Amino acid sequence: MSEGTVDLSGLSGIPGLIRCEEYDRDSMGEQLTELTHTVYPHEHVFGEYCTVHAHIECPPERVFEYMANPYSLLEWTYSVRKLRPVGGDGLLVGEDAASTPLYCRTISHREAMTVDYHCAWDQGDELWMIYLNRIIPAEAVLKRTGSVVIWTNCRHPYYRANPFPEREPRGERMWVGELWPLFYAGHTIELRNLKLILEHRYRLGLPAGPILRD
Amino acid sequence: MLPISLLGVASYLPDEIVTNEFFGPGVSERRGMFTPPTTRRHVSREQTAADMIERAAARLIAGLNLTPSRDIDVLFTNVTIPDQPFTGVGAEIAFRLGCQPRAVVDLHNTGCVSFVYMLQLARELMAGGGGKGALLCNVQNAAGRVFRHPEVRTTRQAPVPGDGCGVAYVAASAISPVLATVVELHGEYARDMTVAADDGRQYWEPGPTPIRVAFTETRVASIIARGNQLVPDRVRQVCGLAGKEVRDIDLLITNQPNPIFLRNWREALELPPSRHHDTYDVYGNLFGAGIPISLEDAIARGRLARGALLALGGFAHAGDYSGAALISWRGGE
Repeated sequence: MSEGTVDLSGLSGIPGLIRCEEYDRDSMGEQLTELTHTVYPHEHVFGEYCTVHAHIECPPERVFEYMANPYSLLEWTYSVRKLRPVGGDGLLVGEDAASTPLYCRTISHREAMTVDYHCAWDQGDELWMIYLNRIIPAEAVLKRTGSVVIWTNCRHPYYRANPFPEREPRGERMWVGELWPLFYAGHTIELRNLKLILEHRYRLGLPAGPILRD
Repeated sequence: MLPISLLGVASYLPDEIVTNEFFGPGVSERRGMFTPPTTRRHVSREQTAADMIERAAARLIAGLNLTPSRDIDVLFTNVTIPDQPFTGVGAEIAFRLGCQPRAVVDLHNTGCVSFVYMLQLARELMAGGGGKGALLCNVQNAAGRVFRHPEVRTTRQAPVPGDGCGVAYVAASAISPVLATVVELHGEYARDMTVAADDGRQYWEPGPTPIRVAFTETRVASIIARGNQLVPDRVRQVCGLAGKEVRDIDLLITNQPNPIFLRNWREALELPPSRHHDTYDVYGNLFGAGIPISLEDAIARGRLARGALLALGGFAHAGDYSGAALISWRGGE
């Protein structure tokens, strides 16, 4: 196989690139140490993106199957309840945070092992609260059995202000985005729920679930 | 434990002010671990550590109105590059100052945190009745003696060190008490800093190349990580020993290896810059002399009120020692 080369002229005119051809090890060291702190403010780490991750002692295919079933949200989330189909294209509606309508469409890719929940409060036309999940065989990344789940949220501008205030005419309800500073904690708790459920059922040889009542 | 007090500090800085141009072009733009100070001092070839201590001690003795023969019965020194390899500088200092201490300790270890270690040892010695007044002397002279060399000054770390001497007087007294001290040994890091020559000779073997102070390059990342961790850990620990909270600290003074460590320590302890004093930009990394020199600077600038809770902290070399002390400051009189 021949050595891979690219035409570097394709990089000309792109300011800000840090590559070994222009930045020697010492210069790179300067960049690295400037960026390395002892502690990081919560806002710095979780201000615009919130990522949580966990190892789950359960095979990745089984984790995928469970998460790709949107009704699993009834089990492992703190407050998503009463999901039912609306329309015929996979959109569900349920309740979140006691009586807030929550719309959700689950988009999963088996080959890539991704399960994304596209959600919104109050309306199902613009699903902007997007929970991105990737399931990875732990054998590959941690040399152990089970799965690694990485869950990321991006701080969509709608988190900062309700774009559809007319949907909540009483105006008394706390907006979901006000909880953003607590997302790391909230998602950590929900991911722990997911881990506990999957590990419990797998350990005891039970169906992964969720088992739906008629 | 009988209370001992830190009663005063005094500094001596060599005359020669060295700017960044001395080290080559573009030095001022360096960042990270080698962010240079604007200036630093260098000792001359002829200036001994004993000279520096004598100059600083003269100011301290005058300021506190001490009579060395009566008031100094314990003497500690720490010198980065000793004047002579065998003897230690303490005996000459005693002679120059005209005192006859019962204990003279020329400390060779604990580098950048040696001031805290001397404070702890003096406290233990004096609490056991081993003395009434101790002079603590820190000399950093590696900038002029090592980093100034034409073949060394072009290295990235050469602009960072600066020379200076800080001395302090502690006495068996409750006026300005040392509330607690802690020094921890991390022997597993002892070999991560070396003095070596590029041609591979031992530093004491004759040869044509200068010696350099080097950190094991493969360990740089872990040295940074441990430095980040050690100092906040010791400061929290010493606060715990004294029954204080970190937020009660009125002024923190640490060793000052570079602005990155200073930033990281203060962030980790959640102290604002106004409560963490340093002299890095004018004097550079003063190694063990940094704490007493920056302390005198803070006092001179009025940043240390009577009764203030003063915290000192630091780590040595590549992390082989770390320590902190807590003082209820009423010194300087």
